[in-house]
Amino acid sequence: MADAKVKKECDPADAAMIENRIKELCIQFPQGITDHVIQNDMPHLEPTQRAMVINKLLSVGQLDLLRNSSGLLYRMKDAQSASKMKGSDNQEKLVYQIIEDAGNKGIWTRDMRFKSNLPLTEVNKILKNLESKKLIKAVKSVAASKKKVYMLYNVQPDRSVTGGAWYSDQDFESEFVEVLNQQCFKFLQSKAEVARDSKQSPMIQRNSSFATSHEVWKYICELGISKVDLSMEDIETILNTLIYDGKVEMTIIAAKEGTVGSVDGQMKLFRGVNPIIQPTGLVKTPCGLCPVFDECHEGGEISPSRCIYMTEWLNF
Amino acid sequence: MYAHSSVQPMILCNVISRRRTPSRSGSRAEMMTAQEARLCGLLLREHFGEVVEKIGTHLLRSGAQNLRTIVNESGTPIDLVKKSLCVLMKHGACRFSIGRKGPGSPVEYQASCERILGILRYPRYIYTAKTLYSDTGELIIEELLQRGHMTMSSIVKMVADRLTHNMEEGRSIEYNEVVSTFSKLVETHFLQRCPPVSEVVPPVSTAPTVPGAPAAPVSTGPPTPESFSDCYLVPSVSLAGRGKRRRSGEDAVLDQGTTKKAKTDLQTHGDEGIYWQVNFERFHLHFRDQTIISAVASKLDQTSSEIVRTMLRMSEVTTTPSASCTQALSANEVFRSLPANYSISRPVLDQYLTLLVDDPMEFVGKTGDSGGGMYVVNLHKALTNLARATLESVVQEKFGSRSARIFRLLLRKRHLEQKQVEDFAMIPAKEAKDMLYTLMSENLVLLQELPKTPDHAPSRTFYLYTVNQLATARMLLQHCYKTVANLIDRRLFQTKESKRLLEKSQRIEAIMASLQASGAEPEQLTEVEEMISAPEKQQLESLRHHINKLDSAENQVDETIFLLKSYVASTARITR
Repeated sequence: MADAKVKKECDPADAAMIENRIKELCIQFPQGITDHVIQNDMPHLEPTQRAMVINKLLSVGQLDLLRNSSGLLYRMKDAQSASKMKGSDNQEKLVYQIIEDAGNKGIWTRDMRFKSNLPLTEVNKILKNLESKKLIKAVKSVAASKKKVYMLYNVQPDRSVTGGAWYSDQDFESEFVEVLNQQCFKFLQSKAEVARDSKQSPMIQRNSSFATSHEVWKYICELGISKVDLSMEDIETILNTLIYDGKVEMTIIAAKEGTVGSVDGQMKLFRGVNPIIQPTGLVKTPCGLCPVFDECHEGGEISPSRCIYMTEWLNF
Repeated sequence: MYAHSSVQPMILCNVISRRRTPSRSGSRAEMMTAQEARLCGLLLREHFGEVVEKIGTHLLRSGAQNLRTIVNESGTPIDLVKKSLCVLMKHGACRFSIGRKGPGSPVEYQASCERILGILRYPRYIYTAKTLYSDTGELIIEELLQRGHMTMSSIVKMVADRLTHNMEEGRSIEYNEVVSTFSKLVETHFLQRCPPVSEVVPPVSTAPTVPGAPAAPVSTGPPTPESFSDCYLVPSVSLAGRGKRRRSGEDAVLDQGTTKKAKTDLQTHGDEGIYWQVNFERFHLHFRDQTIISAVASKLDQTSSEIVRTMLRMSEVTTTPSASCTQALSANEVFRSLPANYSISRPVLDQYLTLLVDDPMEFVGKTGDSGGGMYVVNLHKALTNLARATLESVVQEKFGSRSARIFRLLLRKRHLEQKQVEDFAMIPAKEAKDMLYTLMSENLVLLQELPKTPDHAPSRTFYLYTVNQLATARMLLQHCYKTVANLIDRRLFQTKESKRLLEKSQRIEAIMASLQASGAEPEQLTEVEEMISAPEKQQLESLRHHINKLDSAENQVDETIFLLKSYVASTARITR
C-alpha cells in the first residue's frame, strides 16, 4: 500500500524528470534510442511508466516512433517539423509521414490508403488539407497521365516520374529531340567530310572521321540550344537514334581509365556514313507507295487501267 | 518413282485412268504464286501472242503434261499447240522429259516460270552486253534473245548485216570482226551451247507427232548446259565475207532476217546442229557483282570499290555460282591484279583491305594470314545487307522516316517491347503505337507472345515486336511482281485507248516515207504532215512519254526483283 501510494505520488514529478531524461537521451543519440537504452539508463523505471511517458511525448509531438529490425526506436523530432504539425491531428501526421518516406518518387493515393489503412474519403480530405497548407504537392506522372503522385513540397521529383531531360510538363519534347538529332548528325557529317577531303592515307581518314561521344557532348553543350543540362548518356541516346536512322555507325574501342569520356575502360566512337543503295526501284513507281495496293485488281473498282495515282504520276 | 513395271497390265490401266483426270498432278508443278502466273501471262502475250500465252499459262498452272492432255484441256487445235510448244522450247521456257510412267509413255512438257519471268530482264542483258562489248556484242545478244537458239553462222551474218545497215554508205563490216566478238562472249561464258539431246536432232522440233510413240530423249532430268564438256567451245567455221546492206528499194517484205534469201540458205558453214543460247546465270552473276561494287563505292570510296571489283574478277572462274563467299585470295595476288591506272602502294592496299574487313557491312572477310593476308568477298552477307537496305528503303518511302527508324531498330534488336521501342527510338508513346500498328497491318512487323503463366493471360504476357527479314523479302518480291504486272496492264490499256490515233500516225508516216523515196516536192510533204492536227500531235507526244515512263519503271522494279530474288535464293542455299 505504501508502495502504491509512493508510486502515485512520485508520478507527476518523476514523469517530467523521465521525459527530460528521455529527451536528453534522444539528443545524445540522434539516430534514435531503443527501449533497451532507456532501461539501461533508468533501471528503476517500470515498463508501464515508461510506456506512459513515451506515449505522452508522442502525442505532444516531440518524439518520433520508428521501427527497425531489432525493435522500436524513438527519435527526437526537430522543432521545426514539430511546429508544422501543430495544428494537425494524428491522421494527418500519419499521412505526412508516409509521404515523407516516399522520398522523391512520391506516392499514389491508392498506395497511401494501403499504408495508412484510412478510408478513401478521409485520405482525400487530408491530402487536400496538406496541399492547402503547402506541405505537399501533386506531380503528374509521365507514364500514366491520369495518375497523380504526392510528394513533399520542397522535394525535386525523380527522373522516372518526370521523364528526365526529354519531357517538360509531361509532354515529350519531339522538336527538341529532332533539333538535337540534326545537330549531332551535322557535326558528325562535317567531321567525316573534313576527313575525306584531307586526302591522307585511308586509315587516318577513317580514324579522323570518328568522334567520341564526349566530343559530341561538348559540342552540343557549347551550342547552347538546350535549356536543360544534358548528360553524356542523354547524348548517347540521341546518337543511338541516329544509328537507327541509318546515318551513323558506332564502334567501341578500349580506352585507358581516366581519359576523358571513357566509361569502364571503353569509349564509343561515332561516324557519319552514306547509305549503301539508292532508294530501290519499287518505290519509284506509284504502286510501291499505293495505300490501296491490296485492293487493286484488273477489272475491279481500283485497277491499273483507271488508277488515278498512275495518271498523276504519268502526267508529272 | 512408280514401280508399275511389276504391276499387271489391267491394274496399270486403272491406275492410268485414275491418274489422268486430275489435271494438277502436283508433284512436278513448279511452286508459283498467282502474281507470278499473271505476270508470266502478260509477258508471254506481249512477246509471243495470245495462243502461246494460253498454252503457256495452262502449262504453268497444271505442271507437267503430255501433248494430248494439253490439247484436251486447253481446247486449242493440236497444230496450234504444237507450234506454241515449239516457240516456248526454242526460248527455253518449256522443256520436255520422259513421261512419269516410265519409258514408252508419252513425252511430258513443263513450262518454267522463272525463265518466262526472265523476259522482263532482256533490256538489262542487252545493255550489259553493250557496255562490255560495244555495239557488236549488243546486237549479238539482242538477236539471240529474240530468237532463242541460233547457230553461230546465222547470228554472225545477221549481226553483220544489221551493223552494215547502220553504217554510212560504202562501209561494211567483216564477218571476222563479229566472229571475234562472239568468241569473246563465249570465252567469258556469256554465251553457251544448247545442251544436245541424245541424238543429233535440231532441238527445234522434238515434239513427237503421235502420242504414245517411243520418245526420243532418255535423260531423267533436264540436262544442264554445263554438264557437257563442249559447252564453251567455239566451232571452227568458214565464214568469209562482209555484211550486206539492205537496199531500201528491195522488197520491204524482207524482215530482220527471219526469211533468208534463197542463195544464202544454200551455204553451209560446218556448224549445223550446234545451237547457242544466252547464259543467263552468268549475266546474273555479273549483275550481282555490279550491285556489290556500287554498294561498296557509295559506302566507302572509289578505290575500295576498285579493289572489290578486282577481287570479284579474279574469282569469276574459281568460284561456283552458289557459293556464299569467293575463294580466298591473298593480298599479294590482289596487288598484282589491280588495274594499271590505280597505282597505290602495297601498304596502302593493306590499309584499304583492313578497312574493308572492319566495316560493319562485312563485305570482305579475312580468313588467314598467309601470302600477306587471305581475303574473301562475303557474297551471302553482302546480299543480305543489300536486301535489308531495300526493305528499309521501302518502309522509309512508304511510311516516313520515323517508321523507318522503328523498323531498323527492330531489325537490329530483334525483339522489343512497346515501351522499349518508344525509349530507343525517342518517339512519343502515342505516335510510336500508331506507327507500329500501321506496320503490323502491312505485315512488316510481327507480334510475338511470350506468356509468363500457363494460362496465357494477357495481363501476364510479354508482347514483343519483331521483324522477320526473309519473310518480308518474299512478301515484297510478290508485291514487285504485282507492280510490274500493273505497269504492263496500264501500258497496254493506254496503247489500246489511243489505237486509232496510233494507226493514223503510222499511215501518215508510211505515206511520207513513200513520198520521200519517190522524190516529192516539199509542198506535198507539208500537206501530208498537216493531216495530223496539232492537238493530236500533242496527244501522240504525251502517249509516247507515258509509254516510255512505264517501260523504264518496269526496268527499275526489275532491279529490285533481282536483288530480292538473289537474296532469297542465297538464303535457301545456305539453310539447305
